[in-house]
Amino acid sequence: MMEKEKSGRKTDAEVMIGNYAIARGLVEAGIELAAAYPGTPSSEILPGIVEFKKREKMNIHTEWSVNERCAMEVAFGAALSGHKAVCMMKQVGLNVALPSFLHGRKKKMEGSLVIVSCDDPGPQSSQTEQDTRLLALLFGIPVYDPASPAEAADLAYYAVQYSFEHKVPVIIRPTHRVSHAREVIPLYPIGGRKVTLQEGVQKQQTAVSSQPSASIIDNRSSIIDETGSSPDASRLTAFGVVASGMSYSIAADVLAELGLANTVPVYKVVQLSVPIIDNRSSIIDDRETGSSPDASRLTPHALRSFIDSVDKVLVLEETDIVIEALTGDSKKIFGRRNGYVPGAGELTYDVIRDIIANVVNETKTAKVESVSDRAIEEALKGVHVQPRPPKLCAGCPHRASFYAMRRAFPDAIFPGDIGCYTLGISMGAVDTCLDMGGSVNLAAGFSDAFVQDGNLVPIIASIGDSTFFHAGLAALYDAVKKQKGFILVIMDNGTTAMTGMQPTPQTGITVDGTYTRTARIEDVVTGLGVEFLRILDPYDIPVMISTIREAYTYLNNQPSAISDQKSVSIIDNRSSIIDETGSSPHASSLTPNGPSGYEPSASNADNRSSIIEDRATSDSPRTSHLVPSFGGPAVIIARRGCILNSKLKPEDICDVGSIEKNCIGCKKCITEFECPALVFDEETKRVVIDDGLCVQCGMCLYACPKQEKGKKLQKQYGKGTTKKKAK
Amino acid sequence: MKLEILCAGIGGRGVLLASTILIEAAIAAGLKASASDEYGMSQRGGSVVSLVKIGDFKSPLIGRENAGILLSFEESEFYRNLTFLKRDGRVIVNTHKDALPGEVERLLKERNIRAYLVDGDGIAKQKGMIKASNIAILGYFSSLRIAPYSYENIKQTIVEKTKGKFLEKNLEIFEAGFRQAEGRDQ
Repeated sequence: MMEKEKSGRKTDAEVMIGNYAIARGLVEAGIELAAAYPGTPSSEILPGIVEFKKREKMNIHTEWSVNERCAMEVAFGAALSGHKAVCMMKQVGLNVALPSFLHGRKKKMEGSLVIVSCDDPGPQSSQTEQDTRLLALLFGIPVYDPASPAEAADLAYYAVQYSFEHKVPVIIRPTHRVSHAREVIPLYPIGGRKVTLQEGVQKQQTAVSSQPSASIIDNRSSIIDETGSSPDASRLTAFGVVASGMSYSIAADVLAELGLANTVPVYKVVQLSVPIIDNRSSIIDDRETGSSPDASRLTPHALRSFIDSVDKVLVLEETDIVIEALTGDSKKIFGRRNGYVPGAGELTYDVIRDIIANVVNETKTAKVESVSDRAIEEALKGVHVQPRPPKLCAGCPHRASFYAMRRAFPDAIFPGDIGCYTLGISMGAVDTCLDMGGSVNLAAGFSDAFVQDGNLVPIIASIGDSTFFHAGLAALYDAVKKQKGFILVIMDNGTTAMTGMQPTPQTGITVDGTYTRTARIEDVVTGLGVEFLRILDPYDIPVMISTIREAYTYLNNQPSAISDQKSVSIIDNRSSIIDETGSSPHASSLTPNGPSGYEPSASNADNRSSIIEDRATSDSPRTSHLVPSFGGPAVIIARRGCILNSKLKPEDICDVGSIEKNCIGCKKCITEFECPALVFDEETKRVVIDDGLCVQCGMCLYACPKQEKGKKLQKQYGKGTTKKKAK
Repeated sequence: MKLEILCAGIGGRGVLLASTILIEAAIAAGLKASASDEYGMSQRGGSVVSLVKIGDFKSPLIGRENAGILLSFEESEFYRNLTFLKRDGRVIVNTHKDALPGEVERLLKERNIRAYLVDGDGIAKQKGMIKASNIAILGYFSSLRIAPYSYENIKQTIVEKTKGKFLEKNLEIFEAGFRQAEGRDQ
């Protein structure tokens, strides 16, 4: 869509999501390096940078890093040497990147460093809703909180320039509603964007002009008008709002809906930065003289005078107490500390409308009646609504793995990890979900605790392929060195599925779509010293169950401790392992063979067991002569491509019609197997297959007691997965 | 003008494409438009909601009983999102049924909400592309002529936004959805 530009250098505009808008702003600002690890809601920024650099024929180095710390330090290295660098991650990823951040902020940069850390209020797809702004303030780094995709593009551009001019790292903190909202973003030529911060009291919404397309341009020029100055700040009103980010945008819409847009002034906060060095000394002074530190000194002057100009202030911000804490003036403020704003969860439209209605009524600014009755909920009470909790996709290889894990040892402890496969929690095959790589370390900790208590329980940890590279390597090596007794299932679907199919190191594919060296998981695992390693296709559920049991037998036959004498010979042993395993895999992994380096190895649905590769070295005569094997975790690589990435081969497709035909209504396939393509028809009391979702993988046949496959499994491994868990 | 539309359906069935067509058509008509999507953790088969706001709004989010139009590409998702629909609003439900449950019919009547039941799956299946039922619903929606939308500008946007081999099928299904609406009992 071309738009004629009156005065500026804007050439074009198009609809895009907030993350692409950020990418556009960064590219226009002339960045030279961008590194990221995918994580919702940040994952689309780097692909956006790749797209715009190609369009603009820019020389920008772009890479998916193996984790956020690598991304941050690579970008920091480039910044130290004079380049404009950015790194992107989700909010919990910033924790992974922090070691360099804490010290790095003081290093003299020749270039610029912008960190984009996307927050997830709610949280919608994270473990916590931690607020990036808190860390930014802790380290005294400026942080920008965009209120819309268009503003995010402007702030991204501005942040690069600010960082370059002032030689300090800068953080942009969009929330997921900004990252994933879509609107028209004006495109400027490289270096041609004009940005002024929209901080301060905002003008009321103007009526839509008769020529609506002009209103987009009007809005933009008003950005410049409003800068810095706070026109309404001088008059004393009863009640005002201070808001930042998406909460500002929602508050503006709510006030317009309630007819209060001209009654209640709103101060928008875009940038937060605390000059810690100066202020800290004065705080210490205060402490020494016995008075409490004056937090109001930390508030920017314009914000301070706005707060002074009203009797009461409502502070709306996501997700923690930051602006509210900086303002310090607790008597004046409606916020989280006095319970007017919820202490956790997203500030949705309805939440903000309720808060504003409540405060407006309480301050007698206006009278707002509550709109909602419960009539709709009452009317829907008797209506059947198909439940749709988050589930692994139909045909997902993870489901088969989890099912096999539960069938092998229903009473096991299952430490889980971060990815699609966290959803295994509802199948009872994920007991913990802490952080990236946490499954391996927790399993090691459980192992120690159970050994101490003399209470041996199978421990079966799971981790995805991308997560294994991200945070599993050091953890697994540690467990090997200390001979921890657990089974680790590496669920290798050849991609980073949850965040949108970003390539893993194993594929050798870069973010640009070119090929580089591959790193095979089995090479890494054997390189770390793991002795029990099996690679299998999780679709072969019987083989996976028997392999897990075999792994447990292996663990129980290990010596629980190694004497000094033995540990000397371990060194010999290790070198011999390298000799033995270095042969075939290394040769192929060094060639840039691209995606063929990752190949789901199943070829025949009925003969899948043939694909098991026995890579264990413990039973080879040479090693057993040297020392008894030195124990440590047993690793199973469950390898099959993500169902969204690769269609089933014709020979893998099964006739699943008998699931419907022979159904006795026992619901085992629904309660234990949880495939979204299986729906229980309440009228006929039988299972129905949803043809739109079913991929005919046939894995449900193992969960059905009326099928040959299910019967066989039942005979061998007992009735199902629902045995009571002993904890 | 201001218009808030909630599109609801399940993953893999074109909810986001429908909302893309709606905002692009509004922008082509010279209006400000934004969208916000919620698709949770499931990749396929989970609930998907896309909020479309046309006009002078700052945020892309929709509050309870604020949406003027609810486009439900699947029946259960209609019930799940009914709280967003305002009095006097309109809803299109993709269902093969002829009537909604009595309680719901009464509620809609009492709130002066007009509901249109359309077998979008049936229309799309007949044309050999069940996954394009979203386009059939858009065809039906275009017949309501709710500003800024018309048969012409939605069709034009589909032409611009869908790729080569699907375009012909999409237009056929769009047309069929539109014609079904024209023939409906008034």
